[in-house]
Amino acid sequence: MSLATMIPYPSWLNPADNTWQLVAATLVGLMSLPGIAVLYGGLVRKKWIVNTMMMVFTGFSLTLVVWMLWGYNMAFGTLSHFGPTGSFWSGFIGHFTPLSTAGAEQGQAVSGANTLIPFHFPTATMAYFQFVFAAITPLLFLGGLVGRLKFKAWLLIVPLWITLIYTVNAALLWGGGFFAQKGAVDYSGGYVIHLAAGVASFVGAAIVGPRRWQDRENAFPSNLMMVAIGAGILWLGWNGFNGGDPFYAGADAASAVLNTNVATAVGVLTWVVLDMTLSRQKKPTFLGAINGMICGLVAITPSAGWVNGVGAMLVGLIASTVVWIAWNYVSQLGFFKKVDDALGVVYTHGFAGLTGGLLVGLLADPKMTEYGVSGAHYKGAGGFSVGGWFFTHSFHQLWEQFLAAVWIIAFTSIGTAVIFYIVKAVVGLREDDEVLALGDVAIHEEEAFPEPIFGEPILTPSHTHPDNV
Amino acid sequence: MKLVTAVVKPFKLDEVKVALTKIGVSGMTVTQARGFGRQGGHIEIYRGREYEFDFIDKIRVEVLCTDEQLDGVIDAVVASARTGSVGDGKVWVTEVDKVVRVRTNERGPDAI
Repeated sequence: MSLATMIPYPSWLNPADNTWQLVAATLVGLMSLPGIAVLYGGLVRKKWIVNTMMMVFTGFSLTLVVWMLWGYNMAFGTLSHFGPTGSFWSGFIGHFTPLSTAGAEQGQAVSGANTLIPFHFPTATMAYFQFVFAAITPLLFLGGLVGRLKFKAWLLIVPLWITLIYTVNAALLWGGGFFAQKGAVDYSGGYVIHLAAGVASFVGAAIVGPRRWQDRENAFPSNLMMVAIGAGILWLGWNGFNGGDPFYAGADAASAVLNTNVATAVGVLTWVVLDMTLSRQKKPTFLGAINGMICGLVAITPSAGWVNGVGAMLVGLIASTVVWIAWNYVSQLGFFKKVDDALGVVYTHGFAGLTGGLLVGLLADPKMTEYGVSGAHYKGAGGFSVGGWFFTHSFHQLWEQFLAAVWIIAFTSIGTAVIFYIVKAVVGLREDDEVLALGDVAIHEEEAFPEPIFGEPILTPSHTHPDNV
Repeated sequence: MKLVTAVVKPFKLDEVKVALTKIGVSGMTVTQARGFGRQGGHIEIYRGREYEFDFIDKIRVEVLCTDEQLDGVIDAVVASARTGSVGDGKVWVTEVDKVVRVRTNERGPDAI
């Protein structure tokens, strides 16, 4: 045994920053486990609860292994230069290397492109924080695929998608890559996570094919109380999602948290009022309120710390309205009607993420400052802000946001299609119809609420049963 | 001996129970049931989509009684379960050959 010299707080490490970053990361992790597991488990039919939750837990695990082995360094490590500096090819991906050495975990976190001020916490904190964002993305697009996707196919889709799609989008917008250098911004993942998840959900659902018509017509949610638990964890977990992205436990984190919550509250109320006034039945519904909540959360994500309080409320109002219209009307048109995006991820994440990302270009208030970020918007002395049309009367930012959105939609849809066709060729994408008719029992030999017999067994105890000796 | 079976609205169960106890009925069996009649089903909305629920929740009440009690039991159930709107349910009577109390092995009307 040897004793290495270590001081608890080296001069670069700020315990408050490190603590907040780890807490924020854990909050985001809770959004997946158990947040998404019980939210989706509550939204699917009773016979699909176990399968859905299994995919959530295994997807989370797969992403972390990929993340340690190569994902983190591809998305956030030093950029690979496949072309001249400043070109797209010099800024779209990092290196395919594992995060494995002691120095890599305990050394000071720095930004991949070295354009940011080094952070006041270790790389392990940064890697874990970025992991929980990566992990939730495939879990979100799982919502479009539940109720017919083969379990084996899922085990291949997650590592492929994280490796080929997520890392590229993250490097381009967050890792100091091409779009970051051009000036497009995404505070916490309105594009990299939610728009990409919405697109992947829709494209994936189109390739996997619709659920059995019996399941599609009888898509009763299994448990609205579980939906409430999952949705509540999502909302409050989002304090880590958006509050963690300044990477400093300062005023920027605080304003991002407050803005996130007020946008979400407005998103909820907007959807409820629209349901009560413009829907055919004129009834306020709980699941409608939850849709509005997700719209608010998703849409404020690209701008959380760059809009002011009024801007945040406008984001919630506009995004919830746009998605309400898409949910009720666009969903009835052409291929939107044909593709069976089971839980409507393309609307609540795709449309909401796109709306929020574009709204940055209109509503970002240059007086809202984030500390420590550089790049195209570097204002010196560690301050960073974004100016939307409303304040600058220039459409420049909106244009940058638009270009980044076009990239995310095009690359994610093509890449997802390629991955799904590869997986289809290797293990197939759909369970057989006889399996789909039974659901959980056929696939896992488990069910969400098992009760095999009434009363007590009447025969003598079985000596073959493992619990009887 | 008779078996009176009544299908009633769930929120009327307590009134039915009180009315039956008042006329001296000492036991009843209650089952959650679903069905449709003239009332038809209803619509529920999940995530903006309407789902038709053809079978609606009812309570099935079963009461064993002697021939002398029969008219009183029927009147009590009908009076207590009625709201006047469609879906109030039905009451029917079947003949019962034998009744046995499991604990004492008593037979016939004594077992009721």
